[in-house]
Amino acid sequence: MKAVGARLPRYDGVGHVTGRTQYVDDVRVGRTLWVKALRSPHHHAGITKLDTAKAEAMQGVYAVITHKDVPRNVYGHLEGLGVPGDEPLLADGEVRYKGQPIAAVAAESEEAAQAAVEAIEVAYDERPALFDIRLALDPDAPKIHQWGNVYPHYGPYNHRRVRKGDIDWAFDKADVIVEGVYRPQAIEQMPMETQVALAVPEANGRLTIYSCTQAMYFSMGVVAAHLEVPLNKLKFVGGTVGGGFGGKVDTAADTICALLAIKARRPVKWRWTREEEFLSSSTRAAWHIEIADAVTSDGWILGRRTVTLHDSGAYARFSPYGVTKHAFHHSGAYSIPNLRFDGFVCFTNRVPSTAMRGFGVTSVSFAVETHLTRVASVLGIDPWELRLRNANRIGDTSGNGVALKDPSTVAVALAAAERVGIELPAEYRQMTSDPRSGDLLPEHLVAQQRLNGEGA
Amino acid sequence: MAKHRGRGFATIEYPTGMNQNGDPSQAWIKLKPDGRVDVFSGTVDIGQGSKTVHTQIVADALGVPYDWVTMDNTNTDSSAVCTGTFASRGTFIGGNAVRLAAERVRERILDIASKELEIDASDLEIANGEVTAKGAPQKSINVADVAGAATYNYGELISGSSTALKPFAEVDDATGQVEIEPHSAISYAACVADVEVDDETGDVVVLKMVQVYDVGRAINPTLVEGQIEGGAIMGLGLGLTEASYPHYPSPEHRGGEFGAYLGPAMEDLPELDNVILENPSEDGPFGAKAIGEMANNAQPPAIANAIFDAVGVWITEMPATPERVLEALEAKREGRRDGKRVIFDEHISVKAFSSNDGEGFYGVDA
Repeated sequence: MKAVGARLPRYDGVGHVTGRTQYVDDVRVGRTLWVKALRSPHHHAGITKLDTAKAEAMQGVYAVITHKDVPRNVYGHLEGLGVPGDEPLLADGEVRYKGQPIAAVAAESEEAAQAAVEAIEVAYDERPALFDIRLALDPDAPKIHQWGNVYPHYGPYNHRRVRKGDIDWAFDKADVIVEGVYRPQAIEQMPMETQVALAVPEANGRLTIYSCTQAMYFSMGVVAAHLEVPLNKLKFVGGTVGGGFGGKVDTAADTICALLAIKARRPVKWRWTREEEFLSSSTRAAWHIEIADAVTSDGWILGRRTVTLHDSGAYARFSPYGVTKHAFHHSGAYSIPNLRFDGFVCFTNRVPSTAMRGFGVTSVSFAVETHLTRVASVLGIDPWELRLRNANRIGDTSGNGVALKDPSTVAVALAAAERVGIELPAEYRQMTSDPRSGDLLPEHLVAQQRLNGEGA
Repeated sequence: MAKHRGRGFATIEYPTGMNQNGDPSQAWIKLKPDGRVDVFSGTVDIGQGSKTVHTQIVADALGVPYDWVTMDNTNTDSSAVCTGTFASRGTFIGGNAVRLAAERVRERILDIASKELEIDASDLEIANGEVTAKGAPQKSINVADVAGAATYNYGELISGSSTALKPFAEVDDATGQVEIEPHSAISYAACVADVEVDDETGDVVVLKMVQVYDVGRAINPTLVEGQIEGGAIMGLGLGLTEASYPHYPSPEHRGGEFGAYLGPAMEDLPELDNVILENPSEDGPFGAKAIGEMANNAQPPAIANAIFDAVGVWITEMPATPERVLEALEAKREGRRDGKRVIFDEHISVKAFSSNDGEGFYGVDA
């Protein structure tokens, strides 16, 4: 019997539904200490005083850490891809979002740890905060990030660009230009398992970290960078996660547990409360997308201009990557020969946003697909026909100039239409993904084609 | 005051693998002396079922029964690098890592079997745990015996390792153009949503969603359907109920518990009709492409388009809460015509809020 294609039961399904699967919080190690964090109560503030002496002296408290205890406090999740670091593991001198960790305590119980957190003496100097990305480049907007309010490191640009074809020609030539604004919202990843980690100092000098990360090697690299240790000092144990959806790509609890375990020389576990998971862990980003489509009255999309603003929250994390991916897919499942796209990563004083299912593309799929139905309604054209006519075909090129090998926009659209009993005219019903020819290869699409292995 | 029905749809695409590539997954495999297979992979299973899918891929790539294969993804000491479970890369890139490692193990099995059977390796095949001569099935040896012979007679460990890696695609920062494909594959999907909108309360109910996914090859159709249906309910949350910041951009009134955050629940689940298409990818394992992330991308626009079909208003700020639907019904906004331009949504644009007409965002090199 072939396994591929078979409806085999989940490898770990019985364990999951009978409660026998071991998740991080199920791991029990003797002498474990518990972690609580001091988090910023303000959206944006200077830290004018931070004194942990009273907390450290409390009964049952084994370690307190601040930024001074982190060998390398600022490490960017995307430094490997050339994005410089901007986010401190523990706040140093200022806080930029409500819930940002400033100090962490390891104590004999969660209650003792919380009491010690409350004994940390801290004072703030509140600063004006920025929440509306539309105002990021306003002269009056508060300056909230050391790089300015917009991420500046796309090579020499402060935005991710796409330039394809001749955008001015498309807008001159168009019969109609349809413009719209789309604002996909931030949402929670909302896993059942909140952020959790257990760090155990081993007798051989290594540190074992039980982690709910979605990416063990990535998280191990992040912890090693903050601790400035080689990878052989660390062992990550994981691989089974109680829901991630993108929210467990960020390294949330692992590094702080590692530092506290080393300082206390005891195992330490940090399990975020549901409230922390909702309010202090990263979200899907909110976006602001302005699209103008240059179209002909018979339904060809000649060109598209797009300006996208991405709400990164207080730090960059994966946002520069997300906006690049967004840029690469902003023409959707269609062939648009002339494009001009500018995407900006905007900083605000909210919890840094991060990856979530569909990262960078969920937002643009909403914008593009709502916009196309709007274009169809303005033109008085059937929205199925508008899509099928402009659908990606073999040999068409994507927004960034890649020849498409096996597109199936036509196949999925026709299958959906058939399933719901939409009766399309024969010329649409008979469409395939084969290379364009005849009426489906108008003059404006000729130059963008790359057939027979030409080009990328 | 009435309930209005409407239908909307959307057609989407989504890349497999990290944008711009450069994201390796590695795996290694060894055989126990009875031919049972130990696979070591760093791919984290976040519930999507990658352990199951990888086990299926290894079983068929080797030609042994599924239940011979044990998957260990538990730690970084025994597993090699996996960049991570994100970017819809588990089945394709993680799957290719275990497939390529299994192909190397298969070659080693055939080498040893060739010695035992005294038949050239190229004339042998493996199926269901049995190595047989092509065209002469009576000449055969069980993989268990091959592994035993390797261990105790030849003093060899049958093992194999591999890496799945597509090279990094540099992007031209001035134009966004790339020289090589910046992804491993592209998957496609369509969603048709039927909704009912109450023009008195603003409530939107999704009655049915028909969803079509081209996944290249469904390694495990049940798990593909799990992604389609799980994605559908997540997309419904995006479209109708969920918001970290209910009064965005204000940071106030965030929900800090399940009862104060409107995630979709089972009672919101509409009738679902799933269609799986298989248009194989060139180099995915057994033709597979990704489904994971794209599964929540098509529903929000399909729902927004269905609301327009039902009541004639565009909801372009997500989610389509009753407040937003009622506000739109009240405002009755239409596109403003200016020459050949038809301009919608001016009231929420950058220009409407910024004191400098959005300078810096618009026309950056015009």
